[in-house]
Amino acid sequence: MSLSWLSILFWDTLTPSPCSSVVVLWCVTVSSEALNLSDLLERVSMASDKLHSLSTSLTSDVGSQLPPIFKIMRPSQCHTSSLQTPTDKEQALNVPEEELLSLARSLLLSWSDPLAVLLAEAHNLVHPDKSAILSKTKDLHLHSSSLGAGLEHLIHKMGAQSQGIISLPYNGDVGTDKNASLSNFYFLLTCFRRDSHKIDSFLKVLRCRASKRPEMC
Amino acid sequence: MPTSVSEHGRNFVTSLCNFTCSTCRATGHIPPGKPSLTSCRSPEKETFTCWWKPSYTGGLPTTYHLYYRLENSEIVRECPDYHTAGQNSCFFNKNETTIWRTYNITVVATNRLGSNYSDPVDIDVVYIVQPHTPENVTVLVMKEDDPVPYLRVSWEKPRNADTRSGWITLIYQLRIRMKNQDEWEEHDAGQQKVFNVFTPHSGGTYMVQVRCRPDHGLWSEWSPPTYVEVPDYLPRERSVWIVIAIFSVIVFIILIWTLNLKRSSLKNFLLPPVPGPKIKGFDKNILKSGKSEDMFNALVIPGFPPSSDYEDLLVEYLEVYDQEDQELMLDGKDLQEGCLKLKGPSDNDSGRGSCDSHTLLMDKCGPAKEEPSPESAQQEAETKAARDLICTPEPADGQTNAWPMVLSPGQEYHHHDTPLKRAPDVFVSTPTSPQLGCTSPVDSKHHKVPNVNSVEGKGGAGGTSARTMEYVEVQKVNQQNVLLLRPLVEQSTYCTTSTFVEMPGKDYSKVKGVTSDNVLLLQQEASTPCLSDCHHGKDQEEQDTTIQLGRPVFHGTPAGVHADMQLTSNGYVDTVPMMATY
Repeated sequence: MSLSWLSILFWDTLTPSPCSSVVVLWCVTVSSEALNLSDLLERVSMASDKLHSLSTSLTSDVGSQLPPIFKIMRPSQCHTSSLQTPTDKEQALNVPEEELLSLARSLLLSWSDPLAVLLAEAHNLVHPDKSAILSKTKDLHLHSSSLGAGLEHLIHKMGAQSQGIISLPYNGDVGTDKNASLSNFYFLLTCFRRDSHKIDSFLKVLRCRASKRPEMC
Repeated sequence: MPTSVSEHGRNFVTSLCNFTCSTCRATGHIPPGKPSLTSCRSPEKETFTCWWKPSYTGGLPTTYHLYYRLENSEIVRECPDYHTAGQNSCFFNKNETTIWRTYNITVVATNRLGSNYSDPVDIDVVYIVQPHTPENVTVLVMKEDDPVPYLRVSWEKPRNADTRSGWITLIYQLRIRMKNQDEWEEHDAGQQKVFNVFTPHSGGTYMVQVRCRPDHGLWSEWSPPTYVEVPDYLPRERSVWIVIAIFSVIVFIILIWTLNLKRSSLKNFLLPPVPGPKIKGFDKNILKSGKSEDMFNALVIPGFPPSSDYEDLLVEYLEVYDQEDQELMLDGKDLQEGCLKLKGPSDNDSGRGSCDSHTLLMDKCGPAKEEPSPESAQQEAETKAARDLICTPEPADGQTNAWPMVLSPGQEYHHHDTPLKRAPDVFVSTPTSPQLGCTSPVDSKHHKVPNVNSVEGKGGAGGTSARTMEYVEVQKVNQQNVLLLRPLVEQSTYCTTSTFVEMPGKDYSKVKGVTSDNVLLLQQEASTPCLSDCHHGKDQEEQDTTIQLGRPVFHGTPAGVHADMQLTSNGYVDTVPMMATY
């Protein structure tokens, strides 16, 4: 269990790079004997919980001082809206585990590029809380990467055939207009807030399915 | 004037309208006011309810309708259930509820005259989750082995919340306070449904409340308070102190009792008695009786000091003096007997060399002569040499440097008729080393001292004279039965003001052993330089002077001294230690 903690720590500190997953895989091979699936899911759930909390906080920070004119775009216009996800509890509980995990991984993967765009835009943002927003955006980026690595680890542990994960492209064309960029910034944040909630919910459902603690689930 | 008419007309219409409107409001003939959605909540992320607040109705019966539109859809639907959740509410059941999709909700108030739309609200169900309160909150007073109890608060999840499948994750929180307090004490319980509160106040009444929230949602309401009464108990700290106090009292009692038993020995330990005088023969009673004479007489020990042989213990030294008009008192007969007798009247300072002493060879009061050629001159030289040898410094404190001796009272400390065991002529050999410390140089030649006028026991107990006697050492006896004397060169203390009490150790012979006849075997010290002819080796054993207790130092036949007998520098034996053993 402690070794899985170490691997989680790896996720938190690694910057997204091709080496990170290699290191994680190395950790896995070295310590595969001590890993426990339920513990791994527990930690992944905690990571996703943290990611969503961060996203919610950032979205409220940006949107609280934004006039409604900037909030005109609809969530249906998110680039991940085409990904079919369960829309209520029965549907979600009927989805097999691998598919749930695949959905989570797809969502996360689809957001790797847009988060980089967000980070780039955060430097040029015109907003009263620019510095706080910038730091939170960096954290967001970092946590997203670490969660991605954790999910890779989980896939390897579960031994499931990795179902085809979809990386939805993001072609954000913001333009040079400051207002437009700010509006787009907020829009991206709202989209990510929802998707991070989806990921968190899926993983927590998976956690309770694999859990050996009935009093918690 | 046409403007005034138009103005008049306008004013009339306005006032008429105002009148009409107010009348209408009063009578309710206007469309309803704009309603507003107050809140929408989902207790379990499966259903949700929206509430609105109606505005003024205008007096007419007004109906309210809620319409919603899902994102990515243009279909406008109406609220399926207006009643389940109460008045002015809309309840969406499970079939109606989709998550991760935005609802655009509007409420319309309609009456006969018109309708009024509220502002639209966009909600996503997952963001408005507020569960019900936890249920069945129970508090138990747990008494285990400890006398101090603790409270165990337990509850159940709120109804309809599906935590089993992980659809919703709830985090609990409780708060507790005593009945008469104002401030709550809050505790986070995480996902567990049990919480322990330790060390409640004895005899107090507590109230407990619990609430919960989902991982990304809103806090529920507090549960209704649950009361518990804590029974009286003794706090652990107090009971520990009581035990400690009892234990220490017992220990204290035992200690006092033990001290009481050992009273006397403790008193002896703390205040040791002053030892009384332990003088042999000293009787305290005599002291108490007040007769000091008797007391001191009691101190007299009959056998002390040894009487007849006592003088033999005294170190005998030769008093050499030279006066032309004085005959040496050496008696030939006595010489043959091997004795030297003390002749001549005694003087008070026997052997101390006062100027008045006629027995003293040395005449410090007279001038020194150094011509060696004639007999008298030789004598004078000898005298001088002897004087030099016997020169003594003036003791500073007026005490004698004489040998301390313990004398029996009433016995003269100088003996005149002490027979000596030998009576050779005395030769005084001058020392070669200037260790004597005397100022006048001494030639190293033998001077014959033809007579020994007196040999006296040395008295030192009184300490009357300022002069002291020097010891001379019988170095050799030549064939003419003449003693060769040699002053003790090592004793540099002769010329110092120090007392004779402590002689340097190497002036004495070391006692090698005691034979069965109570004869002391003295040892020659090889380390000390031998200034005269010394026989080493085998002869040394023969020359080891033996001394018997109470016997003089000389050994050998009474008839004479063997020619080959020699006394080394350590032939002189100090008898004081013998005295000390008395």
